[in-house]
Amino acid sequence: MTLGYCLGLAFVLFAIGAYGVMTRRHLVGMLISVEIMLNAANINFVSFSYFRPGDATAGPIFTAFVIAIAACEMAVALAIVISMYHRHKSLDIDSLEELHG
Amino acid sequence: MIADIGFYVIAAVIVLGALWAVTAKNILHAAMALITSFFGTAILYLQLSAEFVAVAQVLVYIGGVVIFVIFTILLTTRLGDRADIAPGMRKLLAFALSATLLGTFLHALVRSGVLTSSKQYADPHFASIERIGYRFLDTGTDGMLVPFEIISLLLLISVVGAIVIARKEEK
Repeated sequence: MTLGYCLGLAFVLFAIGAYGVMTRRHLVGMLISVEIMLNAANINFVSFSYFRPGDATAGPIFTAFVIAIAACEMAVALAIVISMYHRHKSLDIDSLEELHG
Repeated sequence: MIADIGFYVIAAVIVLGALWAVTAKNILHAAMALITSFFGTAILYLQLSAEFVAVAQVLVYIGGVVIFVIFTILLTTRLGDRADIAPGMRKLLAFALSATLLGTFLHALVRSGVLTSSKQYADPHFASIERIGYRFLDTGTDGMLVPFEIISLLLLISVVGAIVIARKEEK
């Protein structure tokens, strides 16, 4: 277990999350993919602070901030999902064209 | 050596969970797969001796976010609904784009020489709850008191915002 392998794991997770964001047509599915990408970023922070300790405590603290902000984002995004469902009775992003120019 | 095998097993669990989460036909199964992936990540944090982050991961992500996602799925979709995945052409394009992204990342990783560099570890208590707690509430130059308070304000704002957005509109 070295820094390189942890970073490789994080990169693979990030690419999987990006693939999910591009292929999902369900709003909640897209949010799940975004969570996977944030998780990859967290793995990056923790593994850098473990293997390259300059100011090692700052890495986990930043991860805690990311987790808190992801929770905020999820709360607001799922509220938007519920409100969209009330309006359109559908969560297929191809049928949600209200914001098309 | 044991730690290495443990890392590979955990990495496989995380990656397979994430793959299942983005490809599952049923969106509820995707949320379940997300739990697997997050739990594996928590174990990885324990291996990297970041106990506080591991506990926060389990409490906030698995106990909070994923449960919230499952509630939203149950509120908005009929059980057994198929989550539509994009048609073949778009799927192929997305695969090509994310494979390119991964290739670029791995190329940069190999070129940076991180894979072969010598090991250097933080001391085992670098993420102990005591140290993180003192750092959070420290008012000195490298203290995190102001961001900590701003985060708590942000949490309050987003909770109020979520309630305002999600309630039914009155005619």
